[in-house]
Amino acid sequence: MNNDISAPQVETDVLTAMRRPGLAWLTGLGLAGLLFAGGLALWAYQIMHGMGVAGITHPVGWGVYITDFVFWVGIAHSGTLISAVLFIFRARFRTSFNRAAEAMTIFALMVAGLFPLIHLGRVWRFYYLFPYPNQRQLWVNFRSPLIWDVFAVSTYFLVSLVFFYVGLMPDLAIAARHRSGRAGKLYRILSLGWTGNLRQWRHYGRLYMFLAAFATPLVASVHSIVSWDFAVSIIPGWHTTIFAPYFVAGAIFSGTAMVLTLVIPMRRVLNLQEHIPIDHIEAIAKILLLTSLIVGFSYVIEHGMAFYGENLFEMEQFRFRALGHYSLLFWIMIVCNAVLPLLLFIRRLRRSLAFLFVLSLLVNVGMWLERFVIVVCSLARDFDPYNWGNYLPSPVECGITLGSFGLFFAAFLVFVKTFPVLSITELKER
Amino acid sequence: MPRQLYFDTPDAFLEELRAQLNAGIPRRRLRARLPFHLHEAEELLIGRPSRLRYFALGGGLAGFGGGFLLAMLTSVDWPIVTGGKPIVSVPPFLLIGYLLTILIGSLSCFAGFLWLSRLPDPGPLVSDDPFDPRFVLTINDEEAS
Amino acid sequence: MTSMVLNKSGIYALLVISALLIGLTEFGLSGKPGSLLLTLLFWSCIAQGCIALAAACELVNARWIASLRRELLSLYPLLLLLPLLFLFLWPQLDLYPWTDHPTLWLNRPFFMLRNLAILLAVFLAGRHLAKRSLDGQTTGPAAVIYLLLFVTSQTLAAFDWVMSLVWPWISTLLGAYFFTEALYAAAATSGLLMVLYFQGKTRDTSLAVGNHLRDIGLLMFGFSVLWTGLFFAQFLLLWYGNLPEEVGYILDIISNSPGRELAWLFPFALFLAPFILLLAAPVKQNRHIIAGVSCTVLGGLFIERLCLVMPTVPLHAGALLFYNLLLIAVVLLMLHSSMHVSASAD
Repeated sequence: MNNDISAPQVETDVLTAMRRPGLAWLTGLGLAGLLFAGGLALWAYQIMHGMGVAGITHPVGWGVYITDFVFWVGIAHSGTLISAVLFIFRARFRTSFNRAAEAMTIFALMVAGLFPLIHLGRVWRFYYLFPYPNQRQLWVNFRSPLIWDVFAVSTYFLVSLVFFYVGLMPDLAIAARHRSGRAGKLYRILSLGWTGNLRQWRHYGRLYMFLAAFATPLVASVHSIVSWDFAVSIIPGWHTTIFAPYFVAGAIFSGTAMVLTLVIPMRRVLNLQEHIPIDHIEAIAKILLLTSLIVGFSYVIEHGMAFYGENLFEMEQFRFRALGHYSLLFWIMIVCNAVLPLLLFIRRLRRSLAFLFVLSLLVNVGMWLERFVIVVCSLARDFDPYNWGNYLPSPVECGITLGSFGLFFAAFLVFVKTFPVLSITELKER
Repeated sequence: MPRQLYFDTPDAFLEELRAQLNAGIPRRRLRARLPFHLHEAEELLIGRPSRLRYFALGGGLAGFGGGFLLAMLTSVDWPIVTGGKPIVSVPPFLLIGYLLTILIGSLSCFAGFLWLSRLPDPGPLVSDDPFDPRFVLTINDEEAS
Repeated sequence: MTSMVLNKSGIYALLVISALLIGLTEFGLSGKPGSLLLTLLFWSCIAQGCIALAAACELVNARWIASLRRELLSLYPLLLLLPLLFLFLWPQLDLYPWTDHPTLWLNRPFFMLRNLAILLAVFLAGRHLAKRSLDGQTTGPAAVIYLLLFVTSQTLAAFDWVMSLVWPWISTLLGAYFFTEALYAAAATSGLLMVLYFQGKTRDTSLAVGNHLRDIGLLMFGFSVLWTGLFFAQFLLLWYGNLPEEVGYILDIISNSPGRELAWLFPFALFLAPFILLLAAPVKQNRHIIAGVSCTVLGGLFIERLCLVMPTVPLHAGALLFYNLLLIAVVLLMLHSSMHVSASAD
């Protein structure tokens, strides 16, 4: 029948990237694995000795773990933005990033999902969070934002996973053709026997559109719900209506930065310069600029409004953020998130990979600090001076945070060598 | 004996497809395999939209109703007042309904896709029939179809 | 009527005359001060939004704008009407509770100055953008500048014009909510233009225009969801916090008729109607449904603004009707002359 299939250039280019892990890859994986192992060991230590080994205590009961949770959920967002929202807007440049960004979404959500469990203390009781008929005859409290989180994050994870897998199906079938032996067989099975006949394609096309349509409001709602963990309370600095869009913009901002952090080295190491053109990276940089402007806008509004209303507690909270115990972190956050990205108005810098890489790292630092400032400052200074107190993360908390980065990067490195990092099918369409 | 024609570009493939249809070959005798989706081919060979939208709509509605009812009925089953809010607090329950709209809607879409496109398909696994990078047009004989 | 094509100076003269007419009515006849504020709120949203939507579409190279760019951009002189009308607000500032105890931010001179300045800046930026775009020059920087000023202006409108009516009531999202609504209003206006004006005039029923119609339908659908998100984000937090200083204002709106009924009406017009009507794919190509949805959305926006100012501002229904009919006539006349205006810009 069809013996002499000559593979198109795109296929070989992308699939070569999956071959022969080099020394750099192994070193990277080793380092990330070590970090992750360290984090796991510290978590085990915390489970054995109790939450006392973490720095969180009265009055700052939410510290680095919640910061990490918000941070990682935020990282996940740009993956969905790039794969679903840009698909609906028919933006061509998404094909350069969507696969890597979707994988990033899944790994970031896996990491994020761990933090509420770590924060829980008695992690073996985590299933209490799900509504299921039980002998205790109890139900979860659906009026609590923490339960919304359970629903939001698990919905987000499942939908992203389906979206990722559906996008991967034709590419798995392509990978199967290029591999012989057991690996080929495995890819073939994972592709569910995809042959690309018209019946498959026409339903596939609709499915992809529907999934994009379902995932698009999810981009806006998951981080909104995370923001309501804070905002439905009446703590000064948390109880403010702008939180939802502000968190969403921040999430896309940090996630886009993380895409750049991952894709710029990936493009170079895997020789994909031809398939990820600099114009597309510039388009991503523009998203970074736009979201940075929204975040900056929110900072101005948040602080301005605290003084506009002349509410004593709000004013004190925002004075404390800028000038109090954590003011250094606050100003680093302002510079990294709202000032430095303004340089992206300069076209030359938008197209400079070195600048973008450094900026993306700084933005991630800034966005992590933003969450820390929001979470900790409001708890450290609420209404009653008798209830004030500063918080310092303990080494266990810092170690677990580093471990989460280890898990994320290890997972991404494994992904790079297991699945096609670009959507071959969509590149052909392009 | 079915004939198979191979093409490297979508244009050549569509041209041939149109030529075959104009020559009076009925749609049911033509089979196409594509490396990526071509809407034109779908219009030429099938001509009616995919039924997947019913799965999206059904799943979405079921998710919304189910989510809202889940929150409402469990709250009624264990009526404890928290935060001074009513037992059936509509705004947060709408949120649960909304999230499950998306979850059940996407999952039912995926299930509907598998059903409609007859996947997973063990045939190609057994017969070692790969996903061709070219456009393939198969013209079946009259009796075979 | 076909002969009534105005050139640019004619349009500016028309705008000044309408502003004077509104001013005269406001001070001579109506006696109640609120109608002007509501008219300003509604029309600033449409005028600034239309240019902003055109600017945003030029930045992202959206295709549907191709058939409407000229008409949307030709509305830019309307931006001049806003500072003119705003001037008439000067004697009416007693509407605002903070005039009794001015603060650093809320005091008469600064209030007037910053709002006039931003409205003028928006007009100049809009004019610059429209001229460049109609001349076929690159519009990137001009569009960015306009959008930045637009966002600032709508935010100020939300905080200064509306929120300070009920000082110290605060919703930090109101600014972003307002500029999203302005874009939503622009999408609805585009829908109307597309159906009533563009297609009717050129008799163009080609596939491209059909696709553009669908894109506008999709845009309105998207905005209906986004609007709901922003509305819900504010509603949920006020409902949850249940603080007397926050819910008091809302209770003022919804506890008396007609606010009680109207407050149900605008979420229906801005969310449910567009969402359900535009859900199915073929509907988005139907001219009449697009036109109907556009009218519903614009009506919903007007009712929403009405609800926001109703508890604190006395309104004169006749004056309100007169201002809005006058402005609708002005806009129609401007659109009618749009070919002429852009030709003189070439």
